[in-house]
Amino acid sequence: MFNGTLFKRTFLSGYKILLVFICVMLMYFLIIAGMYDPKTKENMDKLMETLPKEMMLAFGFKDADSSFAGFLSSYYYGFIAVVFPMIYGIITANRLIARLVDRGSIAYLLSTPNKRVKIVLTQALFLILSTTGIYIIVFAAGFLASEKMFPGELDLNAFLRLNVGALLLQFAIGGISFFSSCVFNDTKNSLLFGAGIPVGFYIIKMLSDAGEKLEGFKYFTIFSLFNPQKMVSGEGAALSFAVLLAFAVVFYSAGILVFCKKDLAV
Amino acid sequence: MGIIEINRLTKSYGEGKGVFELSLEVEKGEVFGFLGPNGAGKTTTIRLLMGFISPDGGKCSINGLDCRRQSAEIQKSLGYLPGEISFMDEMTGTQFIKFMAGMRGMKSFKKTIELLEAFELDPKGRIKKMSKGTKQKLGIVCAFMHDPEVLLLDEPTSGLDPLMQNRFVELILSEKERGKTIFMSSHIFEEIEKTCGRIGIIKNGRLCAVEDVEKIKASRTKYYNVIFETEDAAKLFSKEPVEVVSVNKNIVAVAVSGDMTPFIWAMSKYKISSIESVQAGLEDVFMSYYGSDKGGKPLRTL
Repeated sequence: MFNGTLFKRTFLSGYKILLVFICVMLMYFLIIAGMYDPKTKENMDKLMETLPKEMMLAFGFKDADSSFAGFLSSYYYGFIAVVFPMIYGIITANRLIARLVDRGSIAYLLSTPNKRVKIVLTQALFLILSTTGIYIIVFAAGFLASEKMFPGELDLNAFLRLNVGALLLQFAIGGISFFSSCVFNDTKNSLLFGAGIPVGFYIIKMLSDAGEKLEGFKYFTIFSLFNPQKMVSGEGAALSFAVLLAFAVVFYSAGILVFCKKDLAV
Repeated sequence: MGIIEINRLTKSYGEGKGVFELSLEVEKGEVFGFLGPNGAGKTTTIRLLMGFISPDGGKCSINGLDCRRQSAEIQKSLGYLPGEISFMDEMTGTQFIKFMAGMRGMKSFKKTIELLEAFELDPKGRIKKMSKGTKQKLGIVCAFMHDPEVLLLDEPTSGLDPLMQNRFVELILSEKERGKTIFMSSHIFEEIEKTCGRIGIIKNGRLCAVEDVEKIKASRTKYYNVIFETEDAAKLFSKEPVEVVSVNKNIVAVAVSGDMTPFIWAMSKYKISSIESVQAGLEDVFMSYYGSDKGGKPLRTL
């Protein structure tokens, strides 16, 4: 149920932006990982104290765990490793369906002997695989770089859980953006919801992290299903994985269904 | 059984927009012209035939296959030229042709090369930079390159220069010769009278008439502007036994139905600097065919 020609075309028109995101994420990984030093950890804590606590918490820079994986979970998986792929997913999801419909070029795809479901599945597969690619590269390069910088310091299982959890979170968020891209016939509305909902969720997460008074907000954001600190300890990870995956399946399926049924004024 | 069968097809967009209770059949080997003013429902009909939209009522089929449910199957032997050409961005023409060939699982490029030569199209450049006419040629190549049995063409000659319009007419006639079934829309009668055997007229979403082109041509009123050297000559001429629509200084607009001889005879008595034929609007074409309101229509002059 996939079309190789279309997949190749989608890849060719999307790999540059994918590369940019991967490079930026790797750069940040190296910068952040490079700041880790068990000995100077106390100095880091002092530095943190000079900044407003709420601000640091809002951006997910919690430090509870002094292990290397714990350090990464706070400083990398709290913001960079979540927000950057999310932006990639929003841009790509919008491009995959809504833009083709908005510009009318979907008419050409549908004038070939390919069912709509095949076209939409091929596009969904690209988003899923490219997002997976980001985390595979971050995981592999991150692991190699860590071994080079701090041999034996990185808990591989914890690091794997962090990446799998973040990836499944992206599947769920990407599902929302992809659904939006399938529902709306113009990129304006597709982006309004495809970007608005995930960004809204992230703002709610920041608020719920920032203060105890707003902690209840955590029940209203999908980001609560990926808690980097808990990924390191492994506590409740399996359940989070299952729920995120269920979200992804529901949104992708709904998007595909809507696209197959809807009228295309092209 | 027709190749294209449309039966009481209805798709309403509200406020009278859409198509309503449309029924028609196009036989194998026939070139059918679908005429109507802008917004009459031509593109909506083609979208329904392409399976892009679902009908509110009625049904349409191509080769006995349902246009919405079995559209992928239909596309195997169908060529489509959209009314508004919008290719995938950032591709060159060559890349786009190869992409479409890949999407169709096409093996032979013999026909493609023939078409590129016939339309003098060099597809190497970026589509974004191409002129409207060049894009139209690329669209035509993509519609015909897999040698489909059925063709749906939405305003196929828009943007083409007269030379290329003639090439297009030649292409349609040769495909017709080869037994292809062609359904094409237009809002200009002259554009399809050369190629189509039958034409259907759609107005406000309803099919008004289906007629043989030859019949319409024969009974059709033609309009001419005759330009005289002097205004006096124009005034005198307007007394001649021809159907004068209007006199404007030294220009007389004349309507001629059927026999041309009295008109030519009348003109021979005067000094005439020029004569030009006026493209009749669709309304005029059909008004004259159905005989109502004859001669009473205002004619566009110059």
